[in-house]
Amino acid sequence: MFEWVIEIVYLLLSVSLLLAFVRLAKGPSLPDRVVALELIASIVAGMVGVHAIDTGISAYLDIAIVLAITAFLAAIGFARFIQVRGMHDD
Amino acid sequence: MIGLFWNLLLANCWVFLTGSFGVLNYLFGFLMGYVVIALIHKRVPALEGYPQRLPRFFRFFGFFVWELLLSNYKIAVDIVTPPWHMQPGVIRYKLFAKTDLEITLVSNFISLTPGTLVLDVSEDKTTLFVHAMFLRKEEEVLADLRNLELRILEVIR
Amino acid sequence: MMIEILISVLLLTASIVVLLASIGLLRLPDLPTRMHATTKSGVFAIALIMLAVALYFARVDITARVLAIITFTFVTAPIAAHAIGRAGYLSGVKLWSKTVRDDLKDYYNEKDTDSS
Repeated sequence: MFEWVIEIVYLLLSVSLLLAFVRLAKGPSLPDRVVALELIASIVAGMVGVHAIDTGISAYLDIAIVLAITAFLAAIGFARFIQVRGMHDD
Repeated sequence: MIGLFWNLLLANCWVFLTGSFGVLNYLFGFLMGYVVIALIHKRVPALEGYPQRLPRFFRFFGFFVWELLLSNYKIAVDIVTPPWHMQPGVIRYKLFAKTDLEITLVSNFISLTPGTLVLDVSEDKTTLFVHAMFLRKEEEVLADLRNLELRILEVIR
Repeated sequence: MMIEILISVLLLTASIVVLLASIGLLRLPDLPTRMHATTKSGVFAIALIMLAVALYFARVDITARVLAIITFTFVTAPIAAHAIGRAGYLSGVKLWSKTVRDDLKDYYNEKDTDSS
């Protein structure tokens, strides 16, 4: 029962990863891509949490922490970059 | 703020005096310190108003989680059903909050509530520019924002 | 057994929220509305999954780490959203054609006329 739930959760998260990746590839402008990237980081952090439950190894949580921090820094960096660079074709 | 500091100090005293270092014991010490401060706060001017803060915080927490669920549901329904019901737009919102910390907290919580997103702060720090997703009745959106802001200010002031 | 059901409910809710967010990211028409869909749902889903992790391991050090992750995402996600939204707006990303009103444009126009 519990294993099935974990499988379903993996499946749903993978589908959303795929959809977010489509937006990342399509995204008409750079900010759209950055938003997609941020969602991807959130999904992967969630996946790491699910994997920690699945395997029972709690050390995976450190990856989630690092991922959350780097995603935030990347978003801020991209925002600065977009603001400085202005609007061009992507 | 000074009340929280004293409360932590009392909790530390409790932990050191009992000599068992654990999260549960620390929490218990915090609770004891809170009770002590609640008993004496009327006579010490610096602690005035501290004991009311904790219940207010919990009330705000419950309110916020409820708001989160409700508006998440609203947006989810609009995303799944094909025709768009939303009417997005950017509106001005006059702030009551004065200091930088208050403005940061208020705008963070406004951004965290689904359906509203802070895009910019005016240079004189009096107005937020909020992108709202459901702008059918502007007064309602503004009233919701005001309610949220007043609850936050009640906790931190 | 009870705890397993609770964990399952938390995980399933989180994954459905994430799925809705990514569908919204794909379907919604412009940058700010897309950010409505992703930022909050991402934070919400991470909070739910991390709560499930804390319940599953039921250990103090794990719970502390989980609380750290939740607080951190709750503090940083709106800041990142604000930064990207503002940068995107200033760099001239078009809003949706059915956007009702745009006070921020008025504000920048006023400022330009003031300064010039």
